[in-house]
Amino acid sequence: MLFREIVIAGCGNPLFADDGFGPAVVEELQKLQLPDNVKVIDAGLGAPHFLFTLMEDAEVPVKKLIIIDTADFGANPGDVTKLRPEDLPPGTYRDAHSWDLSEPLQRLKDVIDITIIGCQPKRVASHEFELGLTEEVEGAIPKTVRIVLEEIGVEYGATINHQGTHLWASPGETTGDAGENPGEKV
Amino acid sequence: MSKVVEISPTTRHEGHSKLVLKVNDEGIVERGDWLSITPVRGVEKLAIGKTMEQVPKIASRVCGICPIAHTLAGIEAMEASIGCEIPEDAKLLRYILQCANRMHSHAIHNILSLPDMYIPGTDVKINPFTKEEPVRSVALRIQRLREIGQTIGEIVGGEAIHPSNPRVGGMYKNITPRAKAKLYDLAKESRVLAQEQMEFMIAVFRNYQNRDWSEVGGVEVPITKDLGYHNQGYMATAPVYGSSSLDETPMWFPDRFTEVRPWDWYMGEVEIDEADPNYPIGGTTPVGNKAWPQMEACTGVPLYDGQPVEVGPRARLVQFKNYDEKGAMGLQIARQMEFPETAYGIIDALDALDTSGSVLADEIPQGDGSFGWAANEAPRGTDVHMAKVKDGRVEYFGMLVPTTWNFPTCSRALTGAPWRLAEVIMRAYDPCVSCATHMLVIDEDKRLVAQKLIQ
Repeated sequence: MLFREIVIAGCGNPLFADDGFGPAVVEELQKLQLPDNVKVIDAGLGAPHFLFTLMEDAEVPVKKLIIIDTADFGANPGDVTKLRPEDLPPGTYRDAHSWDLSEPLQRLKDVIDITIIGCQPKRVASHEFELGLTEEVEGAIPKTVRIVLEEIGVEYGATINHQGTHLWASPGETTGDAGENPGEKV
Repeated sequence: MSKVVEISPTTRHEGHSKLVLKVNDEGIVERGDWLSITPVRGVEKLAIGKTMEQVPKIASRVCGICPIAHTLAGIEAMEASIGCEIPEDAKLLRYILQCANRMHSHAIHNILSLPDMYIPGTDVKINPFTKEEPVRSVALRIQRLREIGQTIGEIVGGEAIHPSNPRVGGMYKNITPRAKAKLYDLAKESRVLAQEQMEFMIAVFRNYQNRDWSEVGGVEVPITKDLGYHNQGYMATAPVYGSSSLDETPMWFPDRFTEVRPWDWYMGEVEIDEADPNYPIGGTTPVGNKAWPQMEACTGVPLYDGQPVEVGPRARLVQFKNYDEKGAMGLQIARQMEFPETAYGIIDALDALDTSGSVLADEIPQGDGSFGWAANEAPRGTDVHMAKVKDGRVEYFGMLVPTTWNFPTCSRALTGAPWRLAEVIMRAYDPCVSCATHMLVIDEDKRLVAQKLIQ
């Protein structure tokens, strides 16, 4: 199934330094065993285009959408904030691909509970590609994972024990399996 | 005395581009320049020194719309360079991915182009988001086709957007027999929907062709009968999948490709001296501004046999199926004609697929620096990646993406059209202007809107 009740979408481009925050958090989340009604998606650059415009009429109705992305809200690099779609004036979710097509979040927010978790980036390379997150933003990954788990009501202590990792003890200490999960079993 | 109009940015496609149009007193385009204004990112340089496994993943991130095409073209360029033949079942899985990607892309393009069109037999423009019939059921059909395309892409590719299953040497995993059964079900459902969708869309485009005028920004614009015609050539490497330098009969020839600078192609500095503030989405650029296409264009101009060529659905149909309809609507109709083929392609590939077959080459050479290329028939046209791999590391990498081919061809196709319909022509090409930046900004003054700052 393309969607489940709860969808967590990590948005952004790992080629633009801290803009890769969303996919990096998704990579961590994919190491965890999450409930069956949760789907974690590395949305990369295609979220509005591939996901948000589809959810309204999805085969499995999406009840909750959590978006993880960088957000310039004037805080210190690595700070994390929670936003509601109402906090975003129409048009400010700047996605060059399809935001101007239909502003899908503004339409979705009436039927789906949407939370946006934004991380203040330190550096977003805008003209040239640059791989890798800055230290500050890398450090925001564990707490973001924790916030996501709280949002979906997962007792993360148990999840950590189950995986036998110290995922958010400190950044970079993860030992879970790599997130490759091709050929989904249906 | 010609005047200059600028539409910037252009809308309802992917990425950032603009149109600079020299028009005559009747508002007919004498010369049109369509150009990308997304800065060059330098992915070719970033790739150098990376492993041949990494580079296709990087390539898939340069665009949020064609990640499957870029992944496959990137991987196959590496395989072409190192001389690696992949097992048949891996090829079939990639073929399924390609069809699923095309099904989704063509379906979403319908949403982009429908607002220019009218409900047949009426003067009512189609709003694909309306809840009212008859458009509502068409929109649902489009969404279901997209959902099926994406679900198939996810099952075979590992992830719905940036596929993780394809790798240099084949695929990481074959699919299970249960997944195959599921894919059959989805493909069979989409076969019916794709046929219906094709017929509906062709009726809509034929209706537009037969109309005398279209309303744009409150102005009734006469529709010319040769809207979007050009006399350039076509380039396609396969009806569905593509070609690489490993093929016995390669369908693309690096020697026939040359590139010129935007400076040699686009017009020089001009001043905007005609504008329409009522033109949809913010009006055209106000009078008195300057445009300088040859300085502003951010892509080179690729030529094949010294000429710009068209790539995409019509090019494939012209090359392989004797299709001959020109113009913007001819291109749109060609795209719809590819719809059912995507579902049949998936079914045929599933019939041939052995789910217990190996999908990884027995041996993956590490490369000696030979030049290899792969041309993938992405939904929007031929996506050529070129590579040189030595000892597993990439020494050279290049990408020639579909819209780069189409920029100069579409620019030629604008001549003779009313300028207010220039975007209708441009959208027929389903532009995927390479673009990448993606970031949330709260407001222009960086005002903190959310007070719930955590830590």
